[in-house]
Amino acid sequence: MRRAYSNHHIKPLVFLILIFSGSGLYAQWMSDYLGDEYVLYAETKQVNQFFRRFNAEELPNGKRLYPKDSLYHKKALRNEYLEMVFDQQSIDIRKDLKSQFLGEMLSATEQTYLDFHGGDWFAEVLTTFTYKGKEEKMLLFLSLEKAKIGSKWVFSGIYFEPFRKIFRQDSTPPSPPFIHPLSHELDFMNLMKVFRNGGKLEAYTSKSYEPDYLTLFLYEIKKKNLTFRSVDRVSFHFLQLDGWYFELSEVTREGPNRGWLITQLSQVPPGQKDRLLNFIYRR
Amino acid sequence: MNKIALVILPLTFLLFSNQTIAQDEISTQRKEAIDSLALEKVRDLSRYISIIGNKSTPFSEGNRVIDRAVELFAEGSEIGVSSLYKKAIQYFAVRRYFERLMALNYDQVKIQWYDIQYISDLELQPDGRYVGVITIFQRFEGVTKDGLKYKDTTKKDITIYVEKKTIQIMGKDVEFWDVLLGDIRVKETLP
Repeated sequence: MRRAYSNHHIKPLVFLILIFSGSGLYAQWMSDYLGDEYVLYAETKQVNQFFRRFNAEELPNGKRLYPKDSLYHKKALRNEYLEMVFDQQSIDIRKDLKSQFLGEMLSATEQTYLDFHGGDWFAEVLTTFTYKGKEEKMLLFLSLEKAKIGSKWVFSGIYFEPFRKIFRQDSTPPSPPFIHPLSHELDFMNLMKVFRNGGKLEAYTSKSYEPDYLTLFLYEIKKKNLTFRSVDRVSFHFLQLDGWYFELSEVTREGPNRGWLITQLSQVPPGQKDRLLNFIYRR
Repeated sequence: MNKIALVILPLTFLLFSNQTIAQDEISTQRKEAIDSLALEKVRDLSRYISIIGNKSTPFSEGNRVIDRAVELFAEGSEIGVSSLYKKAIQYFAVRRYFERLMALNYDQVKIQWYDIQYISDLELQPDGRYVGVITIFQRFEGVTKDGLKYKDTTKKDITIYVEKKTIQIMGKDVEFWDVLLGDIRVKETLP
C-alpha cells in the first residue's frame, strides 16, 4: 500500500520560495500572469535543477549560486533540498535507508556532492521503433562523454527483445555441437555441416564471445530494417556516490513533490557495482 | 531575418572589447547577461505564440508574426509535443507548429503564462557553441462554437544556443554573444 503523501518537508522550502519569488530578479514577465505558482517553483523542473538542488547550488527561486555566495552548499538549505528531491510517495525507498543516505550526504566532516561531468551516471530511454514492419519497444542507454570541445551524449548500450531472442541461450543442451580439433586436417570441410544445420551457431564461438547488440542496432538502422518512432520515457541511473545507487525519474502529479525525483535508492556493497550495471543494462 | 533585432539586442547586453576571450569560459556576469538575452527571446516567443493563437488576429498578421517567430530559431529546430494521455511525442517543424496553432478549431482561445522560468547552466558542446534550456509554463483555454471547453497547462523546455560572433562597426571587429532558440519539448502537466 502506498504511503499517504506528506508535505512535511516541503513546507519550509515553499516558504523560502515565496520569499525569494517576490525578490524581483525574474519578477517581471509577461503582462498576462497567473498566480499561485509555488507548486511550479517547488517542482524540480529540469535534471539540471536536480543537480543544483542536490548540491544546494541555487536559491529557491532558481537563481544560480556560486562559490562566492554565502548560501552556496549551505547545509541547512541542502537539508531542505535533499528531502525535496526524493519522491515522497515512492514505495521503493526504505525510510531507514534514506536517512542513512541523507546522513552521509550531509556528513559534518565531508559533504558529498554530485558532479554533472563526474561520470558514473547515465540515461535509460524507452523508445519505440518499427522493426520489420512491427512497432517494438527498445531501451537505449546513453552516457555523457567528454569531447575534444565540450561534451555530448553517446549511445552506450541497447536492450531490444527481438535481438535477444536471436541470441538467447536455451537451457544448455546435453551435448552442444562443436568443430572437432582435427578439422583443420580436412580443410575444415565439416563447416558445410555446421552452416547447413544452422541452429545455435553461437555454440561454435569462443567462450569469451558476447553478442554486440549496439553494432547490430546500427547495422539494422543502416539497412533500413529499423526505424525510429518516438521517445516514450526517460530516467537516469546514478552510481556516482560511493556505495550508493539511485534512480531519477520524472514524476507527474498534483502538489509540489513532483518533477525529477529520486524514485529508487539502494546501497551498493563493494564489488557489486558491475553486477548492478549488468542488471540495469539487462545483460 | 530581422537583422536589426539580431544585432541590436546582443549589443545592448553583451558587447565586449576586442580582446581574446576563450570560447570555453563564460564568467558569471556574462552568463547572467546571456540569461537575460535568452529570456528576452523567450519572452518574444511567448508574445508571438499569444498573438498567433489569438482568434482575433487577422490571417495576414498571423502569418507575419509566424515569420518573426521562426526567425528566433536555429535552422532545423523542431517542437516535440506529448500529453498526459498520449505519451508518444509528435514532432513538428517550428513553422508547422505555429501554423497548426493558428488553425486550431476554437472560437475563443486564451493563452496565459505563469510567472516562472527556470534557466539551466550553459554547457559547451562539440561544435563550440554553448547550449542551455529554459523552462516555462503556459495555460491554454479553448472554447468551440458549441461552447465546449478545452484547457491544459503545458511545460515548455526550450533549447537555447549561445554563440560568439563578430561584426564590424566603423571598421573595427566587435565580438558579441548571440542567442538562438532550438528544439522545444512541450509536455502537458498537471496544474
